Amino acid sequence: MATTDAPITNGINYPDWEDRYYHVDQVLDNPGPRTDPDSFMAGDGVKNFLRNQCKILVIGAGGLGCEILANLALSGFKDIHVIDMDTIDISNLNRQFLFRSKDVGQPKATVAAEYIMKRVPGVKVTPYYGKIQDKDDDYYMQFNLVICGLDSVEARRWINATLVNLVDPENPESLKPLIDGGTEGFKGQARVILPTITSCYECSLDMLNKPTTFPICTIANTPRLPEHCIEWASVLEWPKVKGDMKLDTDDPEHIQWLYSVALERAQEFKIEGVTWSLTQGVVKNIIPAIASTNAIIAASCCNEAFKIATSSAAYLNNYFMLIGTESVYSHTFEHEKRNDCPVCGGESLEVSISESWTVERLIEMLVEKQDIQIKKPSLSTPTKQIYFQAPPQLEVATRPNLEKKVSELVPDGGDVTVTATTLPFSLSLRITYT
Amino acid sequence: MVSNGSQDIKAEMATSEVQPDNKTRRYDRQLRLWAATGQSALESARVLVIGASATATSILKNLVLPGIGHITLLDHCVVSPADAGNNFFFEGSSIGRNRAEEAVYRLAELNDSVQARADTRDVADVLASDQSYFFGFSLIITHNIAPVLLKRLADLLWSNPSSPPLIPVRSAGFLAEFFVQFHTHEIIESHTEDSTSLRIDKPFPALLQAARELKFDAMDTTDHGHIPYVYILVRALDDWKTAHDGLPPQTYAEKQEFKSLLNAQKRTLDEENFDEAVAQSYRAWTPTITPPHLVELFADTTIPSTPFGHLLAALQSFSRRPPHVLPLSVTLPDMKSDTESYVRLQNLYRTQAAEEREQFRALLRVPVQNELVDLFVKNAHGVQLLKGACYGALDATPEKLTAHLGSLTRETATHLAFFALDAWRSSPPRQSGGPTDSELREHIVSLVPSVELDEKEISDAVGEIIRAPTADLPNVAAFLGGIVAQEAIKMITRQYIPVNGYCVIDLVDTWTGVLPS
Ligand SMILES: [Zn+2]
Repeated sequence: MATTDAPITNGINYPDWEDRYYHVDQVLDNPGPRTDPDSFMAGDGVKNFLRNQCKILVIGAGGLGCEILANLALSGFKDIHVIDMDTIDISNLNRQFLFRSKDVGQPKATVAAEYIMKRVPGVKVTPYYGKIQDKDDDYYMQFNLVICGLDSVEARRWINATLVNLVDPENPESLKPLIDGGTEGFKGQARVILPTITSCYECSLDMLNKPTTFPICTIANTPRLPEHCIEWASVLEWPKVKGDMKLDTDDPEHIQWLYSVALERAQEFKIEGVTWSLTQGVVKNIIPAIASTNAIIAASCCNEAFKIATSSAAYLNNYFMLIGTESVYSHTFEHEKRNDCPVCGGESLEVSISESWTVERLIEMLVEKQDIQIKKPSLSTPTKQIYFQAPPQLEVATRPNLEKKVSELVPDGGDVTVTATTLPFSLSLRITYT
Repeated sequence: MVSNGSQDIKAEMATSEVQPDNKTRRYDRQLRLWAATGQSALESARVLVIGASATATSILKNLVLPGIGHITLLDHCVVSPADAGNNFFFEGSSIGRNRAEEAVYRLAELNDSVQARADTRDVADVLASDQSYFFGFSLIITHNIAPVLLKRLADLLWSNPSSPPLIPVRSAGFLAEFFVQFHTHEIIESHTEDSTSLRIDKPFPALLQAARELKFDAMDTTDHGHIPYVYILVRALDDWKTAHDGLPPQTYAEKQEFKSLLNAQKRTLDEENFDEAVAQSYRAWTPTITPPHLVELFADTTIPSTPFGHLLAALQSFSRRPPHVLPLSVTLPDMKSDTESYVRLQNLYRTQAAEEREQFRALLRVPVQNELVDLFVKNAHGVQLLKGACYGALDATPEKLTAHLGSLTRETATHLAFFALDAWRSSPPRQSGGPTDSELREHIVSLVPSVELDEKEISDAVGEIIRAPTADLPNVAAFLGGIVAQEAIKMITRQYIPVNGYCVIDLVDTWTGVLPS
């Protein structure tokens, strides 16, 4: 192989030894047939930007995050920041390859950063052990690119909306490309979001799998599946027996309790299949995860980041999904921006409801509807408050409205603004009655 | 099984009451995909990887983490400064040391339970003097090894039907391809998502009887609103057939009529169980048949003489007898019902499934392990027997390549560019520097001389290859590390369905495609 012809020098441990970037430089020194010649500064120009100027943020140091950090470091990114609020669990070790058994309990961001800096000298990784919500606009403004490897929908909606809000048309630097990846078992997707320009995370909310929920009457009265018994234990029995004690799904004692209670109920109803593993899976909403799928998706994300940062080749427009269960199937397509997207669209969302609907019924719909999914929404019109979830005094004051008809409070064609404390944006609805 | 159901539950309780051990906790997220059977297959596997490139070590990392039994990395070269720059499993201090030893040392740290070995011999020497070596592994993967050596290895393995599968991986810059070579590949747990039949159209006697015995009219409102839709459908179809010469609804008009008859049985508008019956009414006129891929397999005369082959033969005998179905194996979907009716219905299906499993067992001409029989019957509708091809066979069949160029243009163009790169590497005299555009095109034209090539696709692929002919880019290596490990896991566990042919990858436009061999 050509690489073995290079001169051998023992004991080199300083950054950027000769030939360090032998592989990457092949695509940085020469354009390809699909490289835009106007934006690609072949050679020193592009290398200087990538290695000395570009600042990139990685959100999540878990299954995707570990892979993303290693790929970025080897690709030549030298100033990397990483945010993660979690600590290492033993069930992470089958895929999160920067962690060892001795690290269990330590913050993921810190351990990952140290490992990368040890293995790839000259790369600076700055960890932050905490929430993305702790940081303000000035913090996010310092980066050229953001890569997201998260398993939480809520956190992705937050960072997506934050980066869209950051865009100032007068300042091109304020547009931070967001690259987002996600996996489930042998399947995954990677996408490139140019805030305000392409479809954003919120635009595609209806593509998410609907989480399985069981009607409370089934759980309480007619259980049929082992899952129904587990839900009974966690949703109904836990608060009843344990009072104010918060259920901690990471606490094995708590899972043990739920498992025994669910098993007892299953035996009473002659239902088979309640196991420890199923109990844990249901209450933690566990999604299967393997190293190989994370590697594919993290690599896709980093490859797009590399192409955007260097202009060495066109980048993804804008969605790549892969399914590895039957042969290898993938689909690359442009996801369309939604004009009524509450984050990037600008237009209000048209909602047609029955004249007899109460405010409570409307709230239920906002929670459930696939393209909205707002937990605990607060509602107001331009002139009055309809219902507020917080603060407590306001909740009490507006609570009587829950039973009122929407049509008594909002005229036909009237606007309602929906907010939630977890989301940094508001949703405008235009209500019409059928 | 039904009579001692509660004992089963107690027995299970006794074994699973304790919290899972550390190993189960470590592998929890993958056990939810391939279960203990898949894990134990992984733990007994021995994988050989040839060439300690960034791509090769990425593949190995994704096999070591989930707990593969044994890895051997074969490489005689020393770590160059370039290797230390693009491979996460080398450090500055690795430069000048053997590549296999340096990489294995750091890969082994990822998982204590994996046996990891470095072999510092030259693959050319092993091929020349120690061919039996390769037969000691369950899977062999190569990355960018010399075309002539790869050909020799592929031919050696192909010459013996019981040799391990081979996955040759090729990459240059943003482009890559890999092939999966195997003679046959048996899959019991294919995890395909086709739903199995509930036999509404061919109800077994106990189900039909139970449906007929229900007294819908005598039920109170609560019970009526909780009759499982399976009974509603079986009974409605039974009535329909009596009135229609034993035939199910066939025309569109008949199907609509069938649905309105179901709706007419509702006592109140909101009886969800009748809504479910209407939604599931296609089950009444969709015949339960043997899936086409199995019919095709049964017609194949070269079924191997393995336990899987014996099971397949028994499955064929089973499906030949009336009522011409596969053994019943169904996880009853959830449906609107009270607990008692649902559990009773579930037991009807379980009893019937147990009976049919025994009938199936009696049809086996050669005894097969009980657990394997159970697993096979449970997954019967999705079992697969893939027939593979030899690496390079596609390039020896220009008419196939020509056909692919028409329908899978970009995949074939990229494959041809890799073919040309290999041909260029193998043909003397070799100029210093990389290949040129015209050199690669000459090799392509000589392979498929009479075809008009798609200029854009060919120049896109050839252009990227001459841009970076020896580049093992970190992101491309990581991508291949994941996708090839997925295929390796599918081959080793015999679960899910692997690629049969070439998988072609372009990370400029970010797509993958499959070229059947
Ligand atoms: Zn949007």
